[in-house]
Amino acid sequence: MLERFIQELRTDDPGSETPAATRERLKARFAPGSTRRMTLLGMLVGAALGDLPPAGDEPLVYASTFGEGRALEDYLASFPAASPTLFQTSIHPSGVQQGLIGRQRSVGELFPQAGGRQLAVQALLTAMLAPAATVVLAGGEERGTWLVEANAVSDRTFAYAVRLAREPGPRALGRLMLTQEAVTGALAHPAWFERLHRRQPFDGAAAEGWRLQLAWS
Amino acid sequence: MASCAVYSSNHDSVGLAAWGCVTPLGDAAGTLTALLRGERALRAVPVLGREGGDPVPLGLLNNRELDETAPPSWLATIKSRFGPVQEGGWGRPRRPVFVTSSNFGVGCLYAYRRSGDPAFLPFGALPDCVEWLRRELGWGESVTVFSHACVSAHLGLLQASRMIEAGLADAALVFSFDFLSPFVAGGFHALKILNADFPAPYQARATGSIGLGDGAAYAVLARDRGDFTITAQSLHNEMYHFTANRADGAGFVAGLAPVAAVAAGRRVWLKGHGTGTLEAGRLEVDAFGRVFPDAPLVGWKGSLGHTLGSCGLVELALAVEAMRAGRTPGTVGSAAPVFADSVALESFANGAFDGVVCASNAFGEAHAAFLLSHA
Repeated sequence: MLERFIQELRTDDPGSETPAATRERLKARFAPGSTRRMTLLGMLVGAALGDLPPAGDEPLVYASTFGEGRALEDYLASFPAASPTLFQTSIHPSGVQQGLIGRQRSVGELFPQAGGRQLAVQALLTAMLAPAATVVLAGGEERGTWLVEANAVSDRTFAYAVRLAREPGPRALGRLMLTQEAVTGALAHPAWFERLHRRQPFDGAAAEGWRLQLAWS
Repeated sequence: MASCAVYSSNHDSVGLAAWGCVTPLGDAAGTLTALLRGERALRAVPVLGREGGDPVPLGLLNNRELDETAPPSWLATIKSRFGPVQEGGWGRPRRPVFVTSSNFGVGCLYAYRRSGDPAFLPFGALPDCVEWLRRELGWGESVTVFSHACVSAHLGLLQASRMIEAGLADAALVFSFDFLSPFVAGGFHALKILNADFPAPYQARATGSIGLGDGAAYAVLARDRGDFTITAQSLHNEMYHFTANRADGAGFVAGLAPVAAVAAGRRVWLKGHGTGTLEAGRLEVDAFGRVFPDAPLVGWKGSLGHTLGSCGLVELALAVEAMRAGRTPGTVGSAAPVFADSVALESFANGAFDGVVCASNAFGEAHAAFLLSHA
């Protein structure tokens, strides 16, 4: 069994907020002028991470099913005169890199993860197997536009960052346990976010062969 | 900038039980033979495929077209060349799969955008592409996906090693692939590093250039199995700039130092990233010289092109084949003058070496390295 304790948590669910309103809400969290080329996902993840930045040699796991949906759409639309800026920002880890580059904060281990129904547990496994006392797990999705209908980008927007520790400490917010069992199930990324955002408990199959238990203090 | 240490993970008990790759020059053995002969897979191809554009150096598998097909034509090669990937009950909790790529099926999204043909959609989105591969290759659902541009394969190797070392897996399959399309060729062309010139890694010349190549590879990791081990894997992310390294080369050194600590006392040769860009090439050569003085350095992207997210695993398979063959290909495509005397332009016998350090770099100025040695 793998066990970690939630030490810090930040979540952001813009709901029906427009992308422009979200950008306006978050722009003060970054250096003046630095948000002009940032994506919405980059701002959301960057803001969440800004509250609990990876410290020193702390590993960082980044989870996103689709990554940079809007940058991908805009880059595709830029052809035949491909945009170099959109090409850079359309890559999967861009959502977590933008804020870190803006803050010039180097990271030892960075694990950008993607995938479907198993993503939450796979990202937790990566975080829990990192040989460090604490790990930051961040993630998010960005609602796209013309590729939403094709299910090729996310249909909703959210972001989170959570610091996991091996030891409970005096102010643990919750406890996570992963156990290898003969079970089949899935916990999609949006459902995992809801558990964090609403601080809801979970106990059940969250991926093939893995039972997840999430309890809040 | 925050100071940042780098983890060194030593997985001496995790062996390389099987490996393979495919490039435009053939399978791992065939590609090694071609590299030893100094062959180049790169050809001048219009950067936007059927839509034309400047000719740029690309290496395409089986002379396929740059434009994507639906379903992608490269799957047939994977199925015919990668038997171990399809056999053995992969994708179960005790036999997990780690899929790594930078572009996945995004060439199909490009084709959809340009043609409007919905036949491309089932393969385009990242999760859809992985799910399609999972079904086609007969895997279960225990599939972890990493996408960190051109160091993606290293992440799969590291996490697979940790799963085995923790006793959570009996064996693990790391599978990596990246196949070219106008999407990625157009992007690097827009950045002006993919141009009409062919790449010449580590060569001191007026302008830098890269080539791009198709590539796929796999590695099976298992406890106490195989004649080779992957040890001392390290990662470092500068977060200085998306496409520029810190000018003092500290990021390269930080990525190599943990591996050097484990390799101390061993005689190693070096397989660098070596895409053909000038500034990164100089910094990489300088860092290797500081961390591994006197070790010979080679790069193979002058022949194969940059196989992007798969390069770490493709070049691992080639490094293993080189160690088995007793001869390391030189830096194909480059000529004197080079950035340092350590750059090996010609092939050399490697029987007197204890292992090889393989390094890759990526956007965001990510650095990854590992030590491959005999078990």
